Amino acid sequence: MTSSAHGGGPPDEYVEAEIHRLLTENPEIAEQGITVVRREHSLVLQGEVESPHRRDEILRQVAERFPGIPLTTDIGVIRTQAPTEIEQLP
Amino acid sequence: MVIRIAAVGDVHLDEDVVGRFRPALEQLPGHADVLLLAGDLTRHGTEAEARCVAREFGGLGVPVVTVLGNHDHQCDQVPEVIGVLEEAGMTVLEGTGLVLDTPGGRLGIAGAKGFGGGFAGRCASEFGEPEMKAFVRTTSTIADRLGATLRELDCDTRVALTHYAPVPDTLAGEPLEIYPFLGSYLLGQAIDSADTALAIHGHAHAGSERGTTPGGVRVRNVAHPVIKQAYSIFHLGDHLDAGEVSTAGAGGISQPWS
Ligand SMILES: [Fe+2]
Ligand SMILES: [Fe+2]
Repeated sequence: MTSSAHGGGPPDEYVEAEIHRLLTENPEIAEQGITVVRREHSLVLQGEVESPHRRDEILRQVAERFPGIPLTTDIGVIRTQAPTEIEQLP
Repeated sequence: MVIRIAAVGDVHLDEDVVGRFRPALEQLPGHADVLLLAGDLTRHGTEAEARCVAREFGGLGVPVVTVLGNHDHQCDQVPEVIGVLEEAGMTVLEGTGLVLDTPGGRLGIAGAKGFGGGFAGRCASEFGEPEMKAFVRTTSTIADRLGATLRELDCDTRVALTHYAPVPDTLAGEPLEIYPFLGSYLLGQAIDSADTALAIHGHAHAGSERGTTPGGVRVRNVAHPVIKQAYSIFHLGDHLDAGEVSTAGAGGISQPWS
């Protein structure tokens, strides 16, 4: 009884929920901070991770699980430089 | 005198991250009296990942004090994880505290992972199904112990260290719908029950840096994706002018950071 934007496939919102859970529950990923944004013709994964390896793995795992869905990623690797400023708290 | 606190949370270490923080960490001696880690040290809480944490954050030349996060509980190896961290010289707090002698005075730190439940007016209540009651009771038990530990610390300056957030201010940027999974006002109430100078937390990767408890305690979210640097440094002390509050760089850094 479900309608679908991708002929025959599940509705987008469920795919989004499934990807979101995959990002957290798949032990190769285990990320809670990645957001999944629906655009007209693709899903965009956004967020920041601790290594380039993790960014590649997210794309690989999601593409493997949802081969029919066009994906775009905009995931950054968080910088780890020493601070240049101190916060003074009297 | 000033107490200098370095802090970061949510470093989520595994083999692929080891070495990334180390160059910045090696600058800590001389710049900080303690390094606080606000939980989520690992990806899945395995003993092997804890060894990565020990390699990256061990032997720094400044005391390292930590709480665990939800990720550090994922593989049910908490005793092994704690064992590895303690072996590397770190202090792991859970409803416990310690007092460090620093040149700026005695620094008391009380720490606990914390848990969710939400914030005043929009929070879960201990009512209904056993699962719901257990959820809320988990948070209230942790918060009660945190409050008692803070009040009992015999020190000049008190700092609270949690993984979950004690206020909603530092969640700004996160979807409102998930606030109840990110923290609880009960932690804030515990922090306000003592004369706390600063509350440090992590967990909210998309949140924001600064907030205040209803009782006026400064709260800082130091999750790595929020601070976007290896750690933040806070100087605590009475000597500073009110005008210097939160003005980055005011008063100056004695040595330039490379
Ligand atoms: Fe985290
Ligand atoms: Fe977390």
